[in-house]
Amino acid sequence: MEEQDRPCEYLSGVGPVWCPGCGYYGILSALAEAFADLRLPTNELALISGIGCSSRLPYFVKAYGFHSIHGRGLPIAQGVKTANPELTVVAVGGDGDGLAIGGGHLPHIARNNVDITYLLFNNAIYGMTKGQFSPTTVLFPITKTSPFGLTGESVNPSALAIVYGASFVARGFSVKKEHLKDLIIQGMQHRGFSFIEILASCSSFNTTDMNVARIIKNLQMVPEDHNPEDEIEALRLATDKEKINLGVLVRNPRPTLGDKFQEMQKKAKARAPEAKAQAAMEDLLAQFA
Amino acid sequence: MHPDLTLRIAGESGEGVITIGETLCQIAAREGLHIVTFRTFPAEIKGGACMIQVRLSEKNISYHGERVDFLVCLNQEALGENLPDLKDHGVLLCEAECDLPEELLGRTVYKVPFDRIATREIGSRISKNIVVLGTLSHILSLPKRQIEGFITEKFARKGKAVLDHNLDALQRGFDFAERNLGKKDPYKFPKGNEQKMLLMTGNQAIALGATASGMRYFFGYPITPASEIMEWLAVHLPKLGGIVLQTEDEISAICSVAGASWAGGRSMTSTSGPGLSLMSETIGLLSMAEIPAVIVDSQRGGPSTGMPTKTEQSDLFLALYGSHGDTTRVVMAPTSVPDCFRVTALAFDLAEKYQLPVIVLVDQALSARLETVEPRLVKRTPSASRLTAKLREDAPFTRYQLSESGVSPAALPGTVGGEHMVTGMEHDEKGNFACDEEMHTAMTVKRFRKLSAIEGDPLTHELCSYFGDKEAEIGIISWGSSAGPVEEAVSIAKNLGIPVQAIIPKILNPLPHQELKAFLGKVKRVIVPELNFVGQLASLLRSTYRIPTISLTKVKGVPLEPTEIVKKIVETAETLNVRSMKHYGRAG
Repeated sequence: MEEQDRPCEYLSGVGPVWCPGCGYYGILSALAEAFADLRLPTNELALISGIGCSSRLPYFVKAYGFHSIHGRGLPIAQGVKTANPELTVVAVGGDGDGLAIGGGHLPHIARNNVDITYLLFNNAIYGMTKGQFSPTTVLFPITKTSPFGLTGESVNPSALAIVYGASFVARGFSVKKEHLKDLIIQGMQHRGFSFIEILASCSSFNTTDMNVARIIKNLQMVPEDHNPEDEIEALRLATDKEKINLGVLVRNPRPTLGDKFQEMQKKAKARAPEAKAQAAMEDLLAQFA
Repeated sequence: MHPDLTLRIAGESGEGVITIGETLCQIAAREGLHIVTFRTFPAEIKGGACMIQVRLSEKNISYHGERVDFLVCLNQEALGENLPDLKDHGVLLCEAECDLPEELLGRTVYKVPFDRIATREIGSRISKNIVVLGTLSHILSLPKRQIEGFITEKFARKGKAVLDHNLDALQRGFDFAERNLGKKDPYKFPKGNEQKMLLMTGNQAIALGATASGMRYFFGYPITPASEIMEWLAVHLPKLGGIVLQTEDEISAICSVAGASWAGGRSMTSTSGPGLSLMSETIGLLSMAEIPAVIVDSQRGGPSTGMPTKTEQSDLFLALYGSHGDTTRVVMAPTSVPDCFRVTALAFDLAEKYQLPVIVLVDQALSARLETVEPRLVKRTPSASRLTAKLREDAPFTRYQLSESGVSPAALPGTVGGEHMVTGMEHDEKGNFACDEEMHTAMTVKRFRKLSAIEGDPLTHELCSYFGDKEAEIGIISWGSSAGPVEEAVSIAKNLGIPVQAIIPKILNPLPHQELKAFLGKVKRVIVPELNFVGQLASLLRSTYRIPTISLTKVKGVPLEPTEIVKKIVETAETLNVRSMKHYGRAG
């Protein structure tokens, strides 16, 4: 166990590849501070990502890191947590990675309540490929691949997570670092699937959708009397057209996938009284005799 | 006394045809007989024609038999469809209502009103198959007590009424035969050698082999004909502390395997062609990030949805080459049910030892085939494991150390001081992305060094089967489930006076060069029988060894028949008499 309590001890020393002014620096900083506050041993931390600007984050953090393929961070994280439940598993990715190419995984990770924390960096643009629209682009319709405007509506990441049944849903903003750090800590302390949408501006390719001044003007904190078990109210807050609500929208603890696996094993062993590996193997052969 | 008997039971799906076949198999296995079966599945969910063919023998066999000695048909349609496969001296047992074609004149036919006995005398149409079993047990002198015991085992949990119904059906079928049918044929149930055999399908043997090899994490998505692997494991793996998860798609399945495996657990998935297609990007990731994984592909007719319930060996190219970039992977192909156990178990050892994906190719016919397995063949424990690093405080851990063997010591997540990156990007020894030319070359070479090491590894020795005459000039190279018909064809050709030798490599990447080169040095012609249109193995052999091949391909959704191979052997033998040719070994 190597307990750290200084944020810089969670940085790998590899310098981020992000552009100057990128909102992701704030997220990295909030994340390192959250790890430090939680005094997480770096060896017990696994960071999994897909592809995109945000998915480069694991390189910059001292932990076990897995930079994988586009859209697939979540199922990989599910595998990691399944094989070693002792690990604290954090998945990171962007709006394109998580909602376009990888959009099919989110409902299932959420409904299975896999005990991981998923940070979805939402900058409403494909930054790594230099400026094509993403599923969350709305106010910046003319991009390199939409020269005549967008063909579809945008999706709302937090609202999706709520209807998919995520047991913890929160929305943060890269500029509000202390608040974001607090959300990450709450998400990591939540047992089950924690979904955190993090608004962040892309300084190079879309400064409109996540315009800092506009978000600051329109944001409001989730009311203190909001009941996070009330998913309908959470959905209303997440889809508010007037205000951008930041804070914990849903917190609804329920058994995790790991709990279900244990239950499954208990039921199976009850059918096969000898639970010792060798005895059980012979037990398996007996049915073919 | 017939030491070898091939039966086929044909009817409509839902008539209990498969139960009849499986019951015969169970009894035969307990008697110590060797069994190989073949069954067809209708594409319909309910209904449609189906059949099961059971070959029983006192000796070890590897093929389900081409034409049958004893045919049981439960309706007219089944009779029309299956009669051509009855041997000239074969026997037919059929529903009394069936019209018999003229060609059956003078042959042994037993007609029994199965429908009437089941519906009128017993009052339960679904017990018809048990009536058939009763009749069969009389005609073939089956051990009736054993059948009763088996039926009791099968139906006891459904309550006394159901059990009594079925025992009654068995007795009535038996009695009808005793009263009305005089024994007119020479066939009898063969005698076993007392050593009890285990009876399982290829899919079950794969699941069992994986389990025996320490696999504890299975992620998969249902697909015909591979689903049985997941279904079996779902029941049994949790007993051993393992888990089975049905994921949202095949991409999620293979990615979950990647994650679980990186975290240290022996992990696998099983699928068919469409699923393997979806997994191919992740196969590249596993290769690049150097993560062990075992992927079973039970091939079916393709491309696209193709013929989901029919067999084919047409995913070899996909298994060898699917994914972008220069990817490392091992491809293996078992030939029989016992082989499914052995090869799958070995796949895990290779995956762990060399930190790469291993694809195991079987096909629908082998997956669904019930076959006997000697109990000694399903005993195994893992015999290789992942190399882990000795971590030192004074030196940073290098996950992708450019080692001589290509294998770099790993640190499992959780290990103190082993923090590192694994990545699908090209990287330096530490795992940081590095896109410079020297590093990409050095790392690519390192990853491919593992394949050379596998070739020389004793774990992969003895992964070829040989049949026939070692001096023969005609050679056959084949793979997977086609090995059975090839073995049979070699022995038929021998009886025709044509010497043939065959080699069946069970590892197709890396190819067993030493064995194949030695084989090619001895023969003058090479026939490559396989179940696909373009001759995928033939193409691999031609490009690897620069040899001409005689491709024998078939895309009918059913296995090769020995006579089809024999025909090609005879043709080839004729050309050899005309002109001689240099040995391949010298020509190469």
